[in-house]
Amino acid sequence: MAPQLRRGGGRFGWLLLPFLALFALLFMVPLVQLAIVSVTDPVPGLSNYTRALTTPVYWKVFTTTFNVAAGVTLVALVLGYPTAYVLATMRGRWVAVLWALVLIPFWTSLLVRTYAWMVILGRRGIVNQVVQGLGLSDGPLDLLFTRFSVTVGMVYILLPFMILCLYAGMRGIDTSLLLAAENLGATPGRAFLRIFVPLSLPGVVSGGLIVFISALGYYITPALLGGRTDMMVALLIDEQISQLFNWGMGASLAFILLFVTLGVFLVANRVVGFDRILGAGREA
Amino acid sequence: MSVSRRTFLRSIGAGAAAVTAAREFGFPARAHAQKTLVVCGWGGTTTVAQREVYFRPFEKETGIKIIEATPTNYPKLKAMVDSGNVEWDVVDTADRMIFSGVRENLFEKLDLRALDVKKIDPRYVIDVGVGHKAWSTLLSYSTRKYTSGNNPKTWAEFYDVQKFPAVRCMRAAAFDNLEIALMADGVPFDKIYPIDVDRAFKVMSRIKSHVKVWWSVDAQPVQLLTDGEIDLTTLSAARIIALRDKEGAKADCEWNQGIVHMDWWTVPRGAKNKEGALQFINYVMQAKPQAAMSNQVPFGPTNRDALALLEPTVLKNLPTSPDNLKRQLVSDRNWYAENLTKAEERMKAWLLS
Repeated sequence: MAPQLRRGGGRFGWLLLPFLALFALLFMVPLVQLAIVSVTDPVPGLSNYTRALTTPVYWKVFTTTFNVAAGVTLVALVLGYPTAYVLATMRGRWVAVLWALVLIPFWTSLLVRTYAWMVILGRRGIVNQVVQGLGLSDGPLDLLFTRFSVTVGMVYILLPFMILCLYAGMRGIDTSLLLAAENLGATPGRAFLRIFVPLSLPGVVSGGLIVFISALGYYITPALLGGRTDMMVALLIDEQISQLFNWGMGASLAFILLFVTLGVFLVANRVVGFDRILGAGREA
Repeated sequence: MSVSRRTFLRSIGAGAAAVTAAREFGFPARAHAQKTLVVCGWGGTTTVAQREVYFRPFEKETGIKIIEATPTNYPKLKAMVDSGNVEWDVVDTADRMIFSGVRENLFEKLDLRALDVKKIDPRYVIDVGVGHKAWSTLLSYSTRKYTSGNNPKTWAEFYDVQKFPAVRCMRAAAFDNLEIALMADGVPFDKIYPIDVDRAFKVMSRIKSHVKVWWSVDAQPVQLLTDGEIDLTTLSAARIIALRDKEGAKADCEWNQGIVHMDWWTVPRGAKNKEGALQFINYVMQAKPQAAMSNQVPFGPTNRDALALLEPTVLKNLPTSPDNLKRQLVSDRNWYAENLTKAEERMKAWLLS
């Protein structure tokens, strides 16, 4: 497989040129410029980086960012795995409905979906009306502007990515292996745990990576649904540049986020391997 | 500033130039430049009103077409000026920014002989700008929670979480909040400046955990007040009065201990149509357009003749009407010229800790 690809690459490599030109012009050039700003503004040197890494509040923002991203990834996995399993292994009208439920929010504006949660989770929102209507609470619950509302809002937006990755991985699993295991005496549950789950792991890792890395850079949702202490790195970067006019610090924070993201990716590569992550759905 | 930074900004400018060139493609470039004027304002209801009472009549009278840009954004302004590619000709500039802009040399010195400022309150004519609209930050409240008269009337009461249990909302910024904290601590108006920042933060720490939402753009408290999500907030008079009178939201405001600010028309250094900019400023600073603006949005005019053109019902909502002015603190832009960035940085850190 691999030599074949390489030969094809030699002949059709030029097909990549438009993409590479666009990538260089719109991504690499600004990135290099941003890197220069981060080590020259306001004074040459690494002072921005040392300040970013030694100031406790910035650490706190990075910690918050990681905790939120990890929480969102975990919840999305727990909700996404059974959904993807149903989508990948079952047929029928209800599966089509399930697809629609997964995809329609996927095509809806992020801002609209975030505002929807403000309406749902607000003091006078439907959740609080139901809770108070049932007499479960005297006053309205504090749902909005908390870590909870940030997590809910972000999971809602990122869940389709998780489901699609898991689905791609699960579609490639040969279900006759499960039948074979059961033939050999395994209970269905045991066959699922010992055969299906391990084979679905590349999908889990690719879904987890995509959700985790996207979540690290989230801006609008934590800004609208979060409280004072739920600030994530993207907001901090924006604040440094547009409110404090601190270009160098904003740039260095952006680079720290970029390096951390690349680091996460490389660790995932060491553990699982890029081919398996990126090729999770190839056999499908 | 370093060379590489400037190079960086210049390349941003080059991108902006390409966009401008693309936009102007098909027009005779020079004639076009003379016939258009780019005015950068704050957006929202203010820009809607300015379009009606300033831009359209100005276009009709002069034949110069106004291109709107929003919102005012200082890093963008600075990037434009530093790169030498200035897209804006006139900018609606906030009080707290004007002197740091002067320090960074972001504005053109205006030719005062070409400006018609005889009728303008002389306090609001400086060499880089003309003050054109006074606005206030007010204690604002939901009338679902408080009937008028039973609302908190001072910042001390706003800070009193025992006597006024409520869902509170404040701006995630140091400016205004420092003054509010000092007023809450009993400091009289004439002792507020220079601000004792340490004392202000100490006072703010008393209320920190009781503030549910820290807003960054005023559309947030506007929405939250409308939805009944919050009970108390700081908000600009223009926004809260529009909510109360035009949108019928269950909200009202308290003029007592409000903070008065001034916004200025400035011309960025290197603006392409300076002549048109002066023409624009002269036009909109006349008594009639200024009064028309106050009729739309309750901003205080600085043309002395404008007040005479306003109905009492409008006057009572203006930050600069005598009754309101005497109950308010006037924000000191000189203090902010030196201290804004440091105070805001401290505020950001304080909010996170």
